[in-house]
Amino acid sequence: MSLREIADSQSFWLKGDGPEADIIFSSRIRLARNLRGFIFPPWADSLTLKRVSEKVLDAIKRCNYLKNARLIDMNKLSSIERGFLLERHLISVEFSRGGSHRFLVVQQGEMLSVMINEEDHLRLQTIFSGLQLREAWRVANKLDDELSEHLDYAFSPQFGYLTSCPTNVGTGMRASCMVHLPALVMAGKINELLKGISQLGLVARGLYGEGTASHGDFFQISNQVTLGLKEEEVVDNVERVTRQVVGQERKAREILLKRNGAQLKDQIGRAYGILTNAHLISSQEAINLLSKLRMGVSLHLLPEFDMKVLNELLFLIGPAQLQIKSGKNLDASSRDELRAKIIREKLTGSY
Amino acid sequence: MVCEICGQREATFHFKEVINGQVRELHLCEVCAREKGLLEESFFMPDFSLSNLMTGLSSLEVPFLKEKVERCPNCSLTYEEIRKKGKIGCSSCYHTFREYLIPLLERIHGKSYHSGKVPTRKEMGDEKSKQIYRLRRELDKAIKEERYEEAAKIRDEIRKLEGFEKGERNESSRNS
Ligand SMILES: [Zn+2]
Ligand SMILES: [Zn+2]
Repeated sequence: MSLREIADSQSFWLKGDGPEADIIFSSRIRLARNLRGFIFPPWADSLTLKRVSEKVLDAIKRCNYLKNARLIDMNKLSSIERGFLLERHLISVEFSRGGSHRFLVVQQGEMLSVMINEEDHLRLQTIFSGLQLREAWRVANKLDDELSEHLDYAFSPQFGYLTSCPTNVGTGMRASCMVHLPALVMAGKINELLKGISQLGLVARGLYGEGTASHGDFFQISNQVTLGLKEEEVVDNVERVTRQVVGQERKAREILLKRNGAQLKDQIGRAYGILTNAHLISSQEAINLLSKLRMGVSLHLLPEFDMKVLNELLFLIGPAQLQIKSGKNLDASSRDELRAKIIREKLTGSY
Repeated sequence: MVCEICGQREATFHFKEVINGQVRELHLCEVCAREKGLLEESFFMPDFSLSNLMTGLSSLEVPFLKEKVERCPNCSLTYEEIRKKGKIGCSSCYHTFREYLIPLLERIHGKSYHSGKVPTRKEMGDEKSKQIYRLRRELDKAIKEERYEEAAKIRDEIRKLEGFEKGERNESSRNS
């Protein structure tokens, strides 16, 4: 499988070496761009998509920022391979459905990527570890400038960058931070917090599952508005609010530790016990427990783990990752077995 | 609770999105959630949106304007077709259907003109576009600082430039 190399290489944004990385996984910037005169992808015929992809690929070849980037033709991938890129945060659900003349260009380390012919002709993405939204913007902006030297972007002085969905028009920018807030969830403070964030003009998003299903401790904070504000204003706003959220999460952790210390330690210790001893584990259970472990490490309640290891376990144990890594199709129970094995090995360091 | 898509199975996944103090919730069974791609990390993709997922862009409707039958000269779509799909056809649509799009954009973004970056490529930002762009920023500032007389003057200047450029009077009065 051609994606083995990516599977075996590192996602730099998972390194966990950015500021506040024990609470903030990643900072991400996405820019939507289109070519003037060409019909937007949702309406375009195959010939238009082809011509657009040729133009964009040609421009990308001349880009210093994307030197040595890998070019992936979505049409040549199996559904597992597409699922792999999705789990890896490199493509959207829409894009993962495949189709001709759709390409992903991804720089080594996966911090920089471009989707060609998604909903817009181009979707530029930068993703950094921790709270580095300004840096993510700086790089995305540079890449965008470089591309615009070679491409005639659809732009109007009134509406800014023209996009196929009016919710993206203007800057075409979505700035987002993914945050890990287990203590605020435990303390029952999360709804209040999400509401507060949204009143600042931002979008807060979470997924709550019952029983087996849960990404319950993970949230995304992003901007809603793309028209009428400068990119820097938006980036500052999202970064400032995210920083406040981090402060609240830290406070909630302290309070939990003070008031329910034994309970908290018990939960974290049990999570550690299961993860280091299980032989079958679903991705949902693993995510739940790894979330606790992550908090435990951040609070120094557990032996020193590399954040990178925990991040990789959290994000790289999806069904498609496992199958690409092992190089074969696996049924659910073999996946659970392989997942448990990888987690045990990574956590105990016995290979 | 029953799944909101199939209406049959028990909903075990609860998605929540809060925008402008408004909470949107979506309750789905595992099968439907998986089908919509919600169980993968996609949930954290920047463009994921419950409202887009559920309704497309029915908000493209502009109730107080009659739909015009005119087609975009570049992509030949009508506004009706665009509204149904929730996606704009091409860059020219933004000009062709601007009278519909301006109120729509004001509803979505609270504003209807861009104040962010401009493409660097020389041919793109011709002098006039640049001037219009500069004036818009000035207009924005004037309004913010409540210098209304000045704002009116700037607005006239913008209209003049735009009219000259597009060969028509546009609806930018709606824009103020
Ligand atoms: Zn259902
Ligand atoms: Zn058009």
